[in-house]
Amino acid sequence: MESTLPAVAEELLREIKKAFQETSQGRDLAFFRLKFVFGPSAVPALDLVDQRSVTRVKSPSGRTTYQVLGSSGKLYTCFGSCHFCTCPAFGFSVLQKSESLLCKHILAVYLSRALGACQELSVSEEQFSSILLAEEDDDA
Amino acid sequence: LCRGGLAERLCRLQNRERSAISFWRHQCLSDAKIASDESGVLIVKILEIFEECTIQVAICQQLEKSPATLSSQDTAISAREPILKVLFAKETAAHLKTRPQDVIHIYPPWQKLLLKNADVPVIMNTYFSQKVLLSDHSEATEKTYSLTKMLIRKNIISLAQTFRLDDLDDELHQEPSANQVACVPLLHNNCDSKHQSAVNDSLLEMVESQGAVGWREVQVQVVIQRVYCLPAREGYRSHVQGNKPLWMFCRLCLLVQDAYGMFSEVQLHSLSSADEMEQYCRRWEGKFCCLAGMKILQRTTRGRALGLFSLIDSLWPPVVPVKVPGQSQDHEMMTTNHPPPSFCYILTVQSGEIRVEVDEEKPVSNLYQPAAVLGLKEILQIDGCNQRCSFWARVLYIRVQAKHSVPVNQREIWLFVSDSTLQDVAHITPKVVAVSVAASCVLSTEITEALSATSQLVFFKDALWGNGRIICVERTVLLLQKPLLCSAAGADLSELTGPVRLDELDSTTQANSICTVRGTVVGVNESTAFSWPTCDRCGNGKLELCPQDRRQLYCSQCSEVVISPVLKMQLEIFLSCPSQTRRIVKVKVWHKMSFGVLSIERLGSYEVQSVLGKEVGLLNCYVHSVTSHPDCVMLEEIVLL
Repeated sequence: MESTLPAVAEELLREIKKAFQETSQGRDLAFFRLKFVFGPSAVPALDLVDQRSVTRVKSPSGRTTYQVLGSSGKLYTCFGSCHFCTCPAFGFSVLQKSESLLCKHILAVYLSRALGACQELSVSEEQFSSILLAEEDDDA
Repeated sequence: LCRGGLAERLCRLQNRERSAISFWRHQCLSDAKIASDESGVLIVKILEIFEECTIQVAICQQLEKSPATLSSQDTAISAREPILKVLFAKETAAHLKTRPQDVIHIYPPWQKLLLKNADVPVIMNTYFSQKVLLSDHSEATEKTYSLTKMLIRKNIISLAQTFRLDDLDDELHQEPSANQVACVPLLHNNCDSKHQSAVNDSLLEMVESQGAVGWREVQVQVVIQRVYCLPAREGYRSHVQGNKPLWMFCRLCLLVQDAYGMFSEVQLHSLSSADEMEQYCRRWEGKFCCLAGMKILQRTTRGRALGLFSLIDSLWPPVVPVKVPGQSQDHEMMTTNHPPPSFCYILTVQSGEIRVEVDEEKPVSNLYQPAAVLGLKEILQIDGCNQRCSFWARVLYIRVQAKHSVPVNQREIWLFVSDSTLQDVAHITPKVVAVSVAASCVLSTEITEALSATSQLVFFKDALWGNGRIICVERTVLLLQKPLLCSAAGADLSELTGPVRLDELDSTTQANSICTVRGTVVGVNESTAFSWPTCDRCGNGKLELCPQDRRQLYCSQCSEVVISPVLKMQLEIFLSCPSQTRRIVKVKVWHKMSFGVLSIERLGSYEVQSVLGKEVGLLNCYVHSVTSHPDCVMLEEIVLL
């Protein structure tokens, strides 16, 4: 059977993007719906958006990835081409237990994109590669 | 959580919801029956269940009538009844103990979602759901169901699928990015008719009435007092590539003031070119501006944002009377007695569309306070700390912090400057002042290139004076062009009437300053002598050996072999200065002319005896260090710009 939740999540995020151009009631409703699907990740993800923690990182060749400054001060990398995040919660809840669709960082990336709250950063190709390959260092 | 942020808002909604759900459930248990014909109640019969990420997805048939009227034998699924996908949260599903064939009543406020390219509507927010027991189901049967643990198929969601937020692919931005394109046409004067509403003149009122999520509907009119740029957040410093200039990681910011005298810092877009800031500065300062579509980033206070408030203090008190909230506006009150503000809202762009409309045609507002230009002599006499000051000065010499661990674009720069107030009058004040430019002060490429080329006349706007030093920090702007609205006195101060004079080395000379020195050579520090070849084309001092022919030298900057390298020399000499009889004055000389005076053509082939006793001076020097034990001064010969 085809999965349902991803299509639902995508539609809700589009809704959030549209709702922000309208009244506050539209926004509250969009949040209400979002909370239902994303559960405990919703509020922390919005908090990350409030703090403008998401940066879209670009390389000269056009590659894109996202970096999120987590609440602990650690910088996590979220891929743009698939759902992947370097945070431990992703490894546990999403990969291992399939309990969540996304971790709060990936959700924060989507919300920041929908609300235009992404910071922008352009780096060199070399810097970009080191960002993608840097996971091992974060555990230190 | 950020006060006034989206997360806080959702939290409040959630808390309200939670208490409503538990109240409702409590009510349900005590009620015998629930009327099933309440408007808005959805009645469904579960056909199939599976689980996705702890949410239960139930394929259901929507029932028109209460199931009590249906016979339990009627298991045939009517093709006319619509199919729905109902989502149940983990807690709800556990409470309901959902099974296929169950009939569930779903009470408002459930939500319906129609997916594109899908026929089956999705029902969510089903917190208020209750299972209806059909009359001929005995309690025993129900108990049996709950004993057997029902295995519900779990769908594993693929990670390869990402969400598209837009019909257009907005992930790959072309330069300039969509964010920046939206910013560039900021000068349209016609108001968007969708957001037509009265223009307000109070920032505070807007902030308090609209809340953090944004002021889409209302516009606020303010005066732009200052334009500058601020570097990006600290979290990204580690990824700032050392070679890229700081302006690439900066956002354009405005310090605005409303009719009530209240200030706000508005953070706009990233800069797409270094000169952008200067242009906006020139075109926008002092003008009226309508803000819309802003959101509150932060409410900051004096204690937390000293830099911002030192700038606000320099603009206080307002030059024209400002309105006082609550008073009748017929007679406006003077606010000279009021203390400067103790808090300030930092606003930012809410979403892709920025609505900052600056009326460039209209003349400058009366509320605008241009930077008060002072002479350097006056500034050095200011009593107090953390005062913003503005001045014109000629840059005579530049020194960059030598720490190699710090990336080039974050190094502190020292500019040695002077103006006519210091040069023309014989006084106890120094002739030249060192201005420190911190890494947080954003310099445009035009300025950095111009500064390194020749002696420049620079306007330092809103530099910080304190503890006997002038520093350029965040919100300080360095400009080459003369701004239109400077007080006229500033125009003449910077023109130096004669050649630049430096203070001569004396007992008050401090480290990190420049001075002149003259004296007689009394010694040569041979251990410091060395010479090296430089490229005759570009002056590159780091030549390499040619890989093909190791007898030849190669310049990597010119990418060519250096046929006739220019030999540079460096030597430390000891001077006896007329006024400094007991002091050891060490001077590192490297200039061709100095070697000419010393009659040294080549190091290693001169007689120390012939150098001793030579008269040297006046040399312009940078003071590396001044020590008292031993009484010694270390100087380095310099060339003024």
